[in-house]
Amino acid sequence: MCLAVPMKVMELKADGTGVCELENIRYDVDISLIENVQLEDFLIVHAGFAIEKLDVAEANQRLQLFKELAETYSDGQLD
Amino acid sequence: MGVTKKVVIEPVTRVEGHGKVTILLDEKGQVTRARLHIVEFRGFERFIQGRPFWEVPVTVQRLCGICPVSHHLAAAKAMDVIVGADKLTPTAEKMRRLMHYGQTYQSHVLHFFHLVSPDLLFGFDADPAVRNIIGVIKKYPELAVQGVMMRKFGQEVIKVTAGKKIHGTGAIPGGINKNLSIAERDFLLKDIDQQIEWSRGALKIAKDYTIEHLEELSGFGSFDSNHLSLIRADGALDLYDGGIRMIDSEGNKVIDHFNNQNYSDIIAEEVRDWSYMKFPFIKDLGVDKGWYRVGPLSRINTADFIDTPEAELARQEFKAVTSGKPNNITMAYHWARMIEVLHSAEKMKELLLDDDLQGEDLVVKGERRSEGVGIIEAPRGTLFHHYKVNEDDQVTMCNLIVSTTSNNVPMNLAVEGVAKKYLSGTEITEGLLNRVEVAIRAYDPCLSCATHALGKMPLTVSVVDHCGQIVDKKST
Repeated sequence: MCLAVPMKVMELKADGTGVCELENIRYDVDISLIENVQLEDFLIVHAGFAIEKLDVAEANQRLQLFKELAETYSDGQLD
Repeated sequence: MGVTKKVVIEPVTRVEGHGKVTILLDEKGQVTRARLHIVEFRGFERFIQGRPFWEVPVTVQRLCGICPVSHHLAAAKAMDVIVGADKLTPTAEKMRRLMHYGQTYQSHVLHFFHLVSPDLLFGFDADPAVRNIIGVIKKYPELAVQGVMMRKFGQEVIKVTAGKKIHGTGAIPGGINKNLSIAERDFLLKDIDQQIEWSRGALKIAKDYTIEHLEELSGFGSFDSNHLSLIRADGALDLYDGGIRMIDSEGNKVIDHFNNQNYSDIIAEEVRDWSYMKFPFIKDLGVDKGWYRVGPLSRINTADFIDTPEAELARQEFKAVTSGKPNNITMAYHWARMIEVLHSAEKMKELLLDDDLQGEDLVVKGERRSEGVGIIEAPRGTLFHHYKVNEDDQVTMCNLIVSTTSNNVPMNLAVEGVAKKYLSGTEITEGLLNRVEVAIRAYDPCLSCATHALGKMPLTVSVVDHCGQIVDKKST
């Protein structure tokens, strides 16, 4: 299973890409598949392509879920 | 919740690190083995324990990266068993199927157009600066637009069938919680013929490429194997439900129409010390002979026929290449995948024209059970969800076998085949790196996840001599 951690849009560029942030690390992401991406939107990214835009409520639900997931996950297996 | 909470040490991002490949040499410098190390997330099974069972289909959809709809439906199918819903209403089953074909369609399209087409259109040795989606957009702009529009259509289908996730709509234990309105139906119907036309075009690209390069591809990370999938009672390809069938490399049926609720009677999983990912195998055949491939190639190999006319013709052409025997060419996954794209488009049209989608009877229930299995043919292959539930409706046990795990041995063998053929001396060339990436990509593994660079599969390849010393190491 791979994980769909929402990434936050921090920067939009003229060439159709954006810079997204996850756990304080920034990544270049192709956002051409998603319409009307705005700064601070939350995106699901696959292999460098944004594939889904989440509304704020949904993104928060998911981030909470990932927080709980991390809390129940013991060390040693995420390595 | 019945689980111990512990302090987080590793960030979730580390789950999605580089795929690592180790190529092992003997004293003479010949490749003896290659290993693909994929860091797989295995925490879900424990995380979900203690949660209410009816919440699982939505929770799993929120967590899963590439195939949320497949996990959603597999979990829902398992929960159908728990609530005693042995036969869904026609509206519920057809809505779920429409959702599933939409998901398969958009997933296959994204993989083919955005990740694979650069390899096929420009060749494995093309400069990586060109061999990417930007290169495709520049040289084949119409094709790139088609890819975007086809994916968008699949997303629209998911949107109208699964609804907004925040409200937990979509499949629920025992059925579905919305039907398809006439307006939604007409919105999709106006585009469906165009989608079928574009699917034909994508299929032609994959087919022509495979036939044109047949000799080269036959020796490219290919090997004989078992193939496993669900199969409909009459032997037809069925992506949503069926019994388990496994054929060997000659096409003999080793397992057929096996009740999928009893999958754990025939499938076991082995843990190996060098891999985070488990290795599933058929118990009766043992670890060495019981491994199998899953996914589009296996499904087209195991099916006796496809129940939509154009995809069936395409299947016959596919089978003719190997004189009716199973096709064991790793790169033929792409051709098989595009047959499924056309099949999904045909099925979506068939369903959209079916009045049952406007039915009002959405949920059934029966005698409550404490255990349920849900198996579905996800885009990447057979996906197993298995749950036990207590009297308080809490999940007490969960086991998943995801398709990338089933393809673990096959991906290792594909990499080994490529290493044996293309490693010259001990130096990792750009050509070898590219080919390792191309061979793994044929399986469309889950490892190409969130944080990776545009269209790239992040791989680190190491060559290790017989003394255990790393003699070369390069990354994509």
